[in-house]
Amino acid sequence: MNELLLMCTIAGRRAAIPAIEVQSVIEVEAITPIPGTADFILGLTALRSQALTVIDCALALGLETPCASLDNRAAVVEVEGHLYALLVEEAHDVGEARSEPVAVPGGFGEGWQRAARGMVETDGGPTLLVEIANLICGPMREAA
Amino acid sequence: MDELLADFVAETREMLEQSGTELVAWEADPSDKKRIDTIFRFVHTVKGNCGFFDFPRLEKLSHAAEDALAECRAGRREPDSSLVNAVLAIIDRISEMTDSIEAGEEFSEGNDDVLIAALSPNAEIEVQSDLEIVEEAVVDPTTKDDSDNSASKAPRQAVQRSIRLPVDLLDEVMKGVSDMVLARNDLARRLREAGEQPTIDGPFERLSAILADVRTSITRMRMQRLEHLFSSLPRLVRDLSNELSKQVMVDFEGGEVELDREMIEMVRDPLTHIIRNAIDHGIETPASRLKTGKREIGTLKFAARQSGNQISLVVTDDGGGINIEKVTAKAIANGLYSRSEIDKMSDKQKQNLIFEPGLSTAEQVSSVSGRGVGMDVVRSNIERVGGSIEVSSKLGEGTSFHLQLPLTLSIIAALTVGSGDQRYAIPRSYVEEIVFGNSSHVEFAQAGDRRLVTFRDKRVPCLSLGEVLGIENTAHCRWEEKTLVLVRLASDDIFALAVDRVFDHEDVVVKPIAPAIMETRLYAGTTLLDDGRPMMLIDLPSIAQMRGMVGGVRTKAVEAEKVERQKKSKAVPVMLFAGLDGRHRAVRLELVRRIDTISRDAIDIEGERAQAVIDGEIVTLAGHDTGPLPDGRCRLLRLSDGERELVYIVKEVLDAADITDDVVPSEADRSIEGVTLVGGKPIPLLDGHAVFSRYRATRKIEHILTCRIPGESEWARTILEPLVEAAGYRIATDEDDCEADLAIALAEDGTESLQGARATIRLRPDPEDAGDDTIYRYDRDGLLAALKRIRTGRAA
Repeated sequence: MNELLLMCTIAGRRAAIPAIEVQSVIEVEAITPIPGTADFILGLTALRSQALTVIDCALALGLETPCASLDNRAAVVEVEGHLYALLVEEAHDVGEARSEPVAVPGGFGEGWQRAARGMVETDGGPTLLVEIANLICGPMREAA
Repeated sequence: MDELLADFVAETREMLEQSGTELVAWEADPSDKKRIDTIFRFVHTVKGNCGFFDFPRLEKLSHAAEDALAECRAGRREPDSSLVNAVLAIIDRISEMTDSIEAGEEFSEGNDDVLIAALSPNAEIEVQSDLEIVEEAVVDPTTKDDSDNSASKAPRQAVQRSIRLPVDLLDEVMKGVSDMVLARNDLARRLREAGEQPTIDGPFERLSAILADVRTSITRMRMQRLEHLFSSLPRLVRDLSNELSKQVMVDFEGGEVELDREMIEMVRDPLTHIIRNAIDHGIETPASRLKTGKREIGTLKFAARQSGNQISLVVTDDGGGINIEKVTAKAIANGLYSRSEIDKMSDKQKQNLIFEPGLSTAEQVSSVSGRGVGMDVVRSNIERVGGSIEVSSKLGEGTSFHLQLPLTLSIIAALTVGSGDQRYAIPRSYVEEIVFGNSSHVEFAQAGDRRLVTFRDKRVPCLSLGEVLGIENTAHCRWEEKTLVLVRLASDDIFALAVDRVFDHEDVVVKPIAPAIMETRLYAGTTLLDDGRPMMLIDLPSIAQMRGMVGGVRTKAVEAEKVERQKKSKAVPVMLFAGLDGRHRAVRLELVRRIDTISRDAIDIEGERAQAVIDGEIVTLAGHDTGPLPDGRCRLLRLSDGERELVYIVKEVLDAADITDDVVPSEADRSIEGVTLVGGKPIPLLDGHAVFSRYRATRKIEHILTCRIPGESEWARTILEPLVEAAGYRIATDEDDCEADLAIALAEDGTESLQGARATIRLRPDPEDAGDDTIYRYDRDGLLAALKRIRTGRAA
């Protein structure tokens, strides 16, 4: 059983999102900012008359620089009934995982460690498998 | 028809339908115990409900059937066909009566006793159980046209029938319709973009209309007005207050707010408990109320509001309030908290201790409340349905319970407003009024850092939406350019929310928002605009709570002094002018003595000192620092505060006008009294006080120069004196023992200098110049020039 993964780039690193959780990959057009929210929440965007919460994956990981996305690609996922658009730097193809996610001694670095389910081998090399539920909480929840 | 009654009818009918098959099976085999159980349950339930609704005939019937069936169940009687027939006849009669109840008709006449007697074991009376025959027999005898069976039936058929549906199904349908509305909006936008297409637009309009209707009906399917909950409360309150010998009055607000039927049922019990508590613990006895200067009758107020996917329900009593001391003492005594833990708590936390399990503050445990099951159960019940409850209380004044209840579905009436360059929705149920900041009956004031707005003689705290959302700095907020949305919370607290613009009223479909956005406590949900852009729904109660706008129990906006307002609303005449910088300003006309024109040469500015010479007088100059001095002629406004004078240089004098609008004070610019509207434009009004205090005005009028004139000369008294006085001197009398500024002497009186004067003018009787510095007495110009020279010499 090889899990299908959406390969993407977050903050210059290879990352993967379980493809089964991804409803679609969209190009985010207009984002309505929501004042007062944490900075990793970029705002709302509309997709087929539904509102998506746009999350900047890099900021959600607690990294300092926001996603430098070329074409505003985002993976649409649903968590607990809410739709999110995970903005990544680049979204590539769907690939197969060649291994089970494994932990790496020493961790993946702060931020990554929290939101990563582990490292998987893929055709393109080792990739971090993102845990969406942790990602959308952002770095703030961790501190609390 | 009463909602409860409708429920009863629906329930009865539903059970009738269910027991229909049982009845047939029982008829086939009267000894089948299982069937008896089902039928027994039915008549038992009907009996119970009838007692509640006061239908004695129904109750009697069902009671009799229940008795007979109970005998069978207990094995004391063998069911036989005659019993079956009798029971069936009774059930048919119940069905008939239920129909009558639903139609709101009188019960048809009919001898129930016959039916009941048929139940008895030795009954010999034949009872027809066939439904059709019974129906015929029951044809309303009161109807005159007995023969016309269908006519008498007709109104009964017109009555609405109800069915029961699982709530889940309704939810699903509702969600589908909501999505359809959003999809329609999306389609509408695309059609607009594509331009006019008559072949499509027509059907689309129709689709929209239909969808709107469907949406309304679907919404109604699940919703029930809160009234239905409220309607049962007065009775409860009455019973409780009688039991506790208290007098309580109930007041309802927001009964039109609709709540999910299920939610209403969930709230009923907690609400009942809160009422019990309020009457038992909160509201005092009439005697003690009178002692504390309250009305004998206590008030229990229920106010409901819808906000996004929340209903806020506030139950307020005007009783004794929560005694924090008692509550904390009890909490310590019951071992819930230690003294030190209590000490660390805020008053609010202490009040909320009443929700802790095992706390009851009543001194005497009554039968009504205080049985250990208390507010903790209420809280857990409310939290179970996803709501929250809070309490706020003032000792001696009363207690408020704030319940927030979720609404599973939500299409709400909203007001769309703009702040920054975004739109937001505000639940319309909270909006009391919309006023413009620059309107004449709106007045801003400031207390500390809190901006207040005076509107309709109330001082109302003011929040800027932009500032609340963190996209704007209050310091740079131009309140008078904002639109104020007056918000009344369920707790009756009012505050003004300043927004940049109010757009429209709109019905919006509210969708829940992600938890991370919920955390801000600023938003209650999101919705999509017609153009497909998302829009946030503002969570007013939460913002009010965070900003401390909820004053607790019955805090009313402070009455401002009306007298002060009336004085201010009087029209004030002003003069409009353009300053040297070209900006238009206004000055109160009362300050302006006259307008002078002087040449540029007459102005002397050196460092901080600026003066102008007008008519040989040196006068302090102001207003020169706003821009470059004009070449050539300069226009001056001569301002006077009654004692001093100064001139204010302007580029151009524009007009005179009346200001009727309020003057809105400015913090930033101290040289102006504030900004007012003249002809729709904002005009800064010069602050006379600031001008006079900043520029040390010429002390002129205060020190009037004195002049001695020869008292014994009739010419001096009748001709010279008025002239000298007109020139601004006071004629010194003999009582003035101090030195006069000037003395006028007549040359013919001799050459000796007059004593007691700093300057002397000699007048000669002959026009020929005698070359002795004298002035010919009718040389008016010469004389005035001399007088002026001396005066300006002194004044400078």
